[in-house]
Amino acid sequence: MIAVHRLSVSTLQLAVLATAALILLPLGYVTTLALSADPAVWQRLWTTRVPELLLNTVSLAGAVALITLMLGVSTAWMVTRFEFPGRRLWEIALVLPLAMPTYVLAYVYNYLLGFGGPMEQLWQLVAGPQARIFSPQSFWGVTLVMALDTFPFVYLLTRSALLSFNVSFEEVARTCGASPLRTMFSVTLPLLRPSIVAGVALVVLYVVSDFGAVSLLRYQTLTYAVFQQMTGRSDNQAASILSILLVILALLFLLTERWFRRKSRFYQTTGHYRAPQRIQRGWLHTGLLTACLATVVGLAFGIPTSLLVMWSLSQEALAILDTRFFGFVWNSALLSSLAATAAVLVGLPLAYLASRKPTWLNLGCLQAAYAGYVLPGPVAALAVLVLFLSIMPFFYGTVLVLIVAYVLHFLPAGLQSLEPSIQQITPNLEEVARTLGLGVRETWRRVTLPLIRNGVIVAWVLIFLQTMKELPATLLLRPVGFDTLAIRVWLEASEEYYQLAAPSALLIVLVGLPALFLLLSRDWRAA
Amino acid sequence: MMHSPSHTPHTDTSPSDSQVDQYGPTSSILELRSVSCAYEPTRPAIQNISFSIREGEILCLLGPSGCGKTTILRAIAGFEPVRSGQIFLSDRIVSSSSETVPTEERRVGMVFQEYALFPHLRVADNIAFGLHQLSRLERTSRVQDMLRLTGLEGLERRYPHELSGGQQQRVALSRALVQNPVLLLLDEPFSNLDPDMASRMRQDLHALLHRMKTTTILVTHDHDEAFAMADRIAVLNRGEIEQLDTPELIYHLPATRFVADFVGQADFITGQIQQGVVHTELGTFPNTIDGGEGAHVVVMIRPDDIHLMPNKSAAPRIVARQFRGSENLYTVQLPSGQVVHSSESSTSVYHEGTAVELRVSATHTVLFSAEQPPCS
Repeated sequence: MIAVHRLSVSTLQLAVLATAALILLPLGYVTTLALSADPAVWQRLWTTRVPELLLNTVSLAGAVALITLMLGVSTAWMVTRFEFPGRRLWEIALVLPLAMPTYVLAYVYNYLLGFGGPMEQLWQLVAGPQARIFSPQSFWGVTLVMALDTFPFVYLLTRSALLSFNVSFEEVARTCGASPLRTMFSVTLPLLRPSIVAGVALVVLYVVSDFGAVSLLRYQTLTYAVFQQMTGRSDNQAASILSILLVILALLFLLTERWFRRKSRFYQTTGHYRAPQRIQRGWLHTGLLTACLATVVGLAFGIPTSLLVMWSLSQEALAILDTRFFGFVWNSALLSSLAATAAVLVGLPLAYLASRKPTWLNLGCLQAAYAGYVLPGPVAALAVLVLFLSIMPFFYGTVLVLIVAYVLHFLPAGLQSLEPSIQQITPNLEEVARTLGLGVRETWRRVTLPLIRNGVIVAWVLIFLQTMKELPATLLLRPVGFDTLAIRVWLEASEEYYQLAAPSALLIVLVGLPALFLLLSRDWRAA
Repeated sequence: MMHSPSHTPHTDTSPSDSQVDQYGPTSSILELRSVSCAYEPTRPAIQNISFSIREGEILCLLGPSGCGKTTILRAIAGFEPVRSGQIFLSDRIVSSSSETVPTEERRVGMVFQEYALFPHLRVADNIAFGLHQLSRLERTSRVQDMLRLTGLEGLERRYPHELSGGQQQRVALSRALVQNPVLLLLDEPFSNLDPDMASRMRQDLHALLHRMKTTTILVTHDHDEAFAMADRIAVLNRGEIEQLDTPELIYHLPATRFVADFVGQADFITGQIQQGVVHTELGTFPNTIDGGEGAHVVVMIRPDDIHLMPNKSAAPRIVARQFRGSENLYTVQLPSGQVVHSSESSTSVYHEGTAVELRVSATHTVLFSAEQPPCS
């Protein structure tokens, strides 16, 4: 229809429309599949699975949100309000858990908390030989693993809000006679609420869409159920019904969060502000703070990583470091590079047109691309799968299907770094190049591209690393026998071959670290 | 009306009463004795600051940015520890090198430069923030009184971002005043307002503070603001008080060249003492500083003390005219190259290059010795 309005439809415009179609089509297919299902199927799911799954998913998200809230805010408070030896080290160490995929942490805790595992033996020393601790494969086990893995989201956002917090608000509260404690609860924390809520929202979305931890710890959530319907029962229709429920749940949550934050747009003060001073701490407090932080970082990153290193150096693990193993590394790298390249190529025109020609059509296409944000991995896989099965079945089981799913899934992450880098360039720079006699193509090559290069590189690396550790879509869509590192970790860990899973897991964690620092460098210096 | 006895219930519980005898009665609300604050790279240090303030007085701390005036204010509020010296508030020691009474126990009200209104609270809740120990009914009535006093009626349900700059300032002021503070601290309260609004708010605030007999310390870098508001002004430079006097004395009899220069336009003309009078290019002045015969001195002259009249045979020449609405400010060059300024009425217009004769009406001559900076 755009052709009616504009005589010359640029190829760029076409590319953008094609991208939007690529993203919306699978979603449309899943929706159609779900809605066209026999009411009896809905009825059956609604009475048998859905109540349990909803309850499990919501209670897990709630419990993890509560724990990450406390962990994230208190650790952020410790490193921003107090000065003590080692503070800078902890400040960075607290984000390390983000480099650990949930399935890696889950498999380590499966061992640690497992029957006859080290934690249980420790506990039995204290509480007697018959004492039991909670099983990792329970609500509390999953909650613990997810909370340890995701609290850095809350920590990061609270930390940067605390760093840019205008301390005048606290001081004026003190002149009004409020004690430090009352000041914290009635002034500081309410003012930090938007950031804390944003952090918790990230956590909840992450928990709801997680597949790795819940599948290894065998805890039934909606996301896990979608996967089981597709693999165990090969029932794509039931899977799509559960997917729709999952997407609605995520959207409902996002809308609530928006509504909750609506009023707090004005919380940021501009102009003069005074940054808070860190309170110097003595030895006693330093000891306490260090103990707290060491426990958190140790549980979430230190102990799991040491275990991985130990296992990787064991006889069994060293024995599998053969050409087959390097084949998995190669598969992972190949898939990730292809996905990153494809996503950047698809994302660039989207972000560019939305910024330069912000028509409703272009903005709509961009928004469509962000839809992948609320799609858990299994749902993205399902969407792409049903689309290919119905219109291009000959591609089923090829790498192409997998790449499309990755692009659908990770395009939002890439756009988040492409968009700002394009918006930062004033159109004047391109216009002046045109007045200097350069064509459209030349201008792109000599002006625009060099200026957005960093944004493009960051987007590429982020998508590369996300793909590297992606699990559910890869599991569902990979060509037969085409294993990646993430797949190996999951397969070995499912069989409780802890040592055999370790080298792949360790490699994923190590490769994830640079991505973390790339992400952080953008907003680390908040104040 | 704010200070009616029924509205000051917690005066009795104020710790000041019990400790009066401990330190001997003084008439001042606040006293600083040789206060110095520790040096930190981000804040200017203050050295040896001493002054006291009487009940109901408005004292202004005036100085350029970085002179330490805000540091003094924050030390009084209890945000800044003192390295040496003591601060007494209502005859109770609140800051010394060994102890610092927490801010919330000092009963000072403070208005911050950017107001720091709590963005998550409505106007009424902002004002009531410090009244949480009162009953709900009393709280509401106190807030209503304050709203009426500051002309904010009808805005109590608004959020801070829905207010204009002037309204925000009045809310911040109400929040500080509603708790009947012993002392009100104002940190550059007009700097975020446009000039018209600032001068109107200045008059309103001055009237309000006098009506409520609120003891106030105001920090500013603007001498006009200080002149308009203050009963006394302390001019600060590099962490020390250069002069503490009434606005009139500060302007007409500045103690140092810095003060002379900071509180208004001033020209400094060199001269020499001969036979008991000061000889300068602009004529002779009385020797007010007991300088010895032959000593070199500097005479401070304000533009409103110099009058010019065209005279073709005179040597000084007008080099520039600056029209300021209510006056014309002329820049005049003397034969030696020395430049002086003269303020003339708005209607007397002379062109650049006009030869003029200068008359100095020195009702109050201020002399500084030429080499060493201050004395007088």
